[in-house]
Amino acid sequence: MSMNVPRRIPYLVLIAVGAVAVFVILVLSGRVTWFSTQPPVEFLNNMDHNRKAIPQSANGFFADRRSVRDPIEGTVARGLEVYPLGMGDIDLVDSVNIDPALERTAFVMARGQNRFNVFCSPCHNYDAKGNNRITTGRGQWMGIPDLTREQTGALTNARIFHIISAGQNLMPSYADKIAPIDRWAIIYYLRSLQGDAALGQ
Amino acid sequence: MFSRRFDMAVKLGGAAVGAVAGIVFLVIYFGVRNDVADVGYRPEQPVPFSHKLHAGNLQISCQYCHAGVEVSGHSPVPTTQTCMNCHTIVLPESPQLAKVRESYEKGEPIEWVRIHKVPDYAHFPHARHIRAQIDCQSCHGPVEQMGVVSQYKPLTMGWCLECHRNPEANIVGARPISGVFTGQMHDMKDLKDSTYIYKPIAAQVQESEPMVVPSFGNSMSALPAHSVAGIPHPKKAGLGPENCSSCHY
Ligand code: HEC
Repeated sequence: MSMNVPRRIPYLVLIAVGAVAVFVILVLSGRVTWFSTQPPVEFLNNMDHNRKAIPQSANGFFADRRSVRDPIEGTVARGLEVYPLGMGDIDLVDSVNIDPALERTAFVMARGQNRFNVFCSPCHNYDAKGNNRITTGRGQWMGIPDLTREQTGALTNARIFHIISAGQNLMPSYADKIAPIDRWAIIYYLRSLQGDAALGQ
Repeated sequence: MFSRRFDMAVKLGGAAVGAVAGIVFLVIYFGVRNDVADVGYRPEQPVPFSHKLHAGNLQISCQYCHAGVEVSGHSPVPTTQTCMNCHTIVLPESPQLAKVRESYEKGEPIEWVRIHKVPDYAHFPHARHIRAQIDCQSCHGPVEQMGVVSQYKPLTMGWCLECHRNPEANIVGARPISGVFTGQMHDMKDLKDSTYIYKPIAAQVQESEPMVVPSFGNSMSALPAHSVAGIPHPKKAGLGPENCSSCHY
């Protein structure tokens, strides 16, 4: 009867099977992440994907497959303030860019700092002195000015608003990323960084 | 009754069938659950953009490219123009950026592969969460350490509710790298009239009431006194709503 019982228990096989089982259970229970370049398999997709246009997705309804449509010619989206001047219209800045003269409360200055650190600091650095962290040591982008120098301090607020909105030479326009009121907050904050050099305000 | 061999074969066969069924059950049971299936999805993108380089090493904050996330439900994937803000000067010839230049010249968008998606019948308004000073990392993981981005959290309803009910344990508070506006000055300068004081999320959660019945008109409420029309003011962080219509609308 007991003649058929194996004489030695195959420990190695047992350990291997156990290890595989533990691994499979860990992966399946989400304790180890299993990276995959393939989209997740959906056995039942539970109406997760409708054929509606969701922002920035491909949608077969349109010939170019873009769910984000360009505005119809001659129209502007509601609430969108388009900056009317081009890069060269420097003469018009004082009549177009009217400083709302917000009270410089801690809230407004914090906003200015936040937006400056997000959008300007990559090139101009946190202290606006221009030794930016993107190209430092690589010599790729020379000529980013120190905004705390007197020449920049002498620019009027309206002029700086114009530089942010329309760009200047190699500095791109930030009109699409920063709302007008935030641009003014940035300018106030920049003035506080400029300290003594801030003549233009 | 049966021969010993037949008996053995039945036993082994039974064990094999049981094992296979068990594995199939495990795979299907866990495989259809999004918390397991979706996490770790790491598609290959058309351009080998590295968040680790841009956000991690260069410390460009999330909102530089994903600008507008404070005011819209959707967190925008940046335009090609955004890449070209720097890459007209920085590495203008790089072959890895060929697709970016081509897209810029032709005016055709780059087809980035979407990783994070909640079902189409549920809504995750980014602006509401960002303005509650919740850091991007809370849901997307440490993206600034990812060379290739993968999904980090399951984004299931259970996961949403877990955080709505118990935010302190799950929320990462706003960090400077994300660019989330807290209304607080980070270092640099201290203003004399510092009337607006940022309260840590844990403290804000302590004060909040559970929201289990639908409430309307929140977005119409008056601006706080320190705020300025047009600047998205930070809102109080706290318990998230638990009523169905908050997300399924
Ligand atoms: C992509 C890099 C980059 C970013 C981001 C950037 N700038 Fe500039 N900025 C430049 C460059 C380059 C110049 C020099 C332009 C020139 O040669 O006329 C410049 C010039 C300026 C000037 C003019 C200085 C002078 O003395 O003529 C001001 C003011 C300025 N930037 C403000 C800002 C503000 C405010 C922001 C944030 C919204 C910002 N910049 C973001 C690259 C940048």
